[in-house]
Amino acid sequence: MRSTADVVVIGAGVIGAATGYYLAKRGLKVLVLERDFPCSGSTGRCIGGIRAQFSHDLTIRVMMESVRMFRGLSDELGEDVEWYSGGYLFLAFDEKRKQAFSDAIAIQMRYGLDVRFVLPDECEKIAPGLDPTGLIGGAYCPTDGQANPFKVTYGYLEGIKRMGGGLVAGCEVKQVNRVGDKVVSVTDAKGHDYACNMVLNAAGCWADEVGAMAGVKVPVTADRHESLVTEAVERVFNPMLVDYRSDGCYFVQHSGTGHFIGCYTPVPLVPGHDVEVTEEFITEMPRRMVRLVPKLAGVKVLRQWAGSYEMSPDGNPLCGETSVRGFYVSSGMSGHGFMFGPALGRLMAEQMVDGRASIPLDEFFLSRSFGKAEAMK
Amino acid sequence: MRRVIRMGYHSLEAVKRVLRTGMGHCQGRGCLRLIARLIQEETGIPASEQKLPRPRPPLKPLPLGLLGAFEDEERSSKDQVRING
Repeated sequence: MRSTADVVVIGAGVIGAATGYYLAKRGLKVLVLERDFPCSGSTGRCIGGIRAQFSHDLTIRVMMESVRMFRGLSDELGEDVEWYSGGYLFLAFDEKRKQAFSDAIAIQMRYGLDVRFVLPDECEKIAPGLDPTGLIGGAYCPTDGQANPFKVTYGYLEGIKRMGGGLVAGCEVKQVNRVGDKVVSVTDAKGHDYACNMVLNAAGCWADEVGAMAGVKVPVTADRHESLVTEAVERVFNPMLVDYRSDGCYFVQHSGTGHFIGCYTPVPLVPGHDVEVTEEFITEMPRRMVRLVPKLAGVKVLRQWAGSYEMSPDGNPLCGETSVRGFYVSSGMSGHGFMFGPALGRLMAEQMVDGRASIPLDEFFLSRSFGKAEAMK
Repeated sequence: MRRVIRMGYHSLEAVKRVLRTGMGHCQGRGCLRLIARLIQEETGIPASEQKLPRPRPPLKPLPLGLLGAFEDEERSSKDQVRING
């Protein structure tokens, strides 16, 4: 059996769905092949935060474009993606962190981001109920926000179908086939061939396995992150709160439903793809949340779950064409795939069609040398 | 629910990702069997053969303060968040 498409996208997470959508908008026939079901990897386990507060110039530029696109995404997709501009408040409890935020703010302001360092009393105004004990200030950007990862991804996938493309769920790609140094097709586990001019490896934390099928090394490693969601409560505050202390956490209240949803980065990291949950998290995370916002003590936890960050060596995406012509990658999102989705999807589509993106992605190219790490991971 | 199943989402996991079914207060204990029956009606896939989503703790909703092992006297009940609904 044989199908044909201009582009085969491997992976129906937000990156594959968004890039596929913008490729379809350029007139290409797109087939998205998904091993399991849409959002079954990292996208469906993410907590939905969207921000432009980063330290790397290109990341800031791409995220500012993503925020701009999220604002209009419900209209673009004909689906309410639950975008809400509640801001992000990063908390500083020591001088070193304050300095790191101030350095990042200086870079962010060069690109015109509405961001500032705020003192503890203003932090309390932005996040009523926040316990300011030990706090020396925060980095606040009111234009950051949140959206629903499922709605965004399904919106893009339905858009691809409307434009004549398709989604094949339960389709596990086993081979990436070349003629010389040019990709020509992929083959799935049932022996079905998909002939195409281009392949996009958007396989998240499995992008290394898909890369290996074409003889391309994609340096992604999975780190486990756990999350929880509470019952819905009255509106408490608008921003995502981020506490970068080694025993910190980050959480946000869903703008529509009132659920609190959050997670933390474990110290030390837990390497490997594993979606089992731990007792440690469901006791530690509540302790950390209630320490920051004591009046949440009576709010009940509904559910905990786990998912992977697909980490690149420097915490920035791995994008662009590979050593195999027509074989592209967009992975290594390092915990930021959902918020990168719209802009990086469109820019990668430009890269693949025009050979150059309107915001040049060179610093994200897979071929770069891995230097300075992202300071606001 | 039927519209989403007809869009091609033929498993409890896939439907859950679109509609968040099984992720609310009942955590699927009330709703999943009903949804499995709808999927059966729409697709013919027997409800008994449908894979259930992974159960997640806690078994029933528990307060953050209790899970975080905060002492009762540390919390003042007057300054607590109101629950919706």
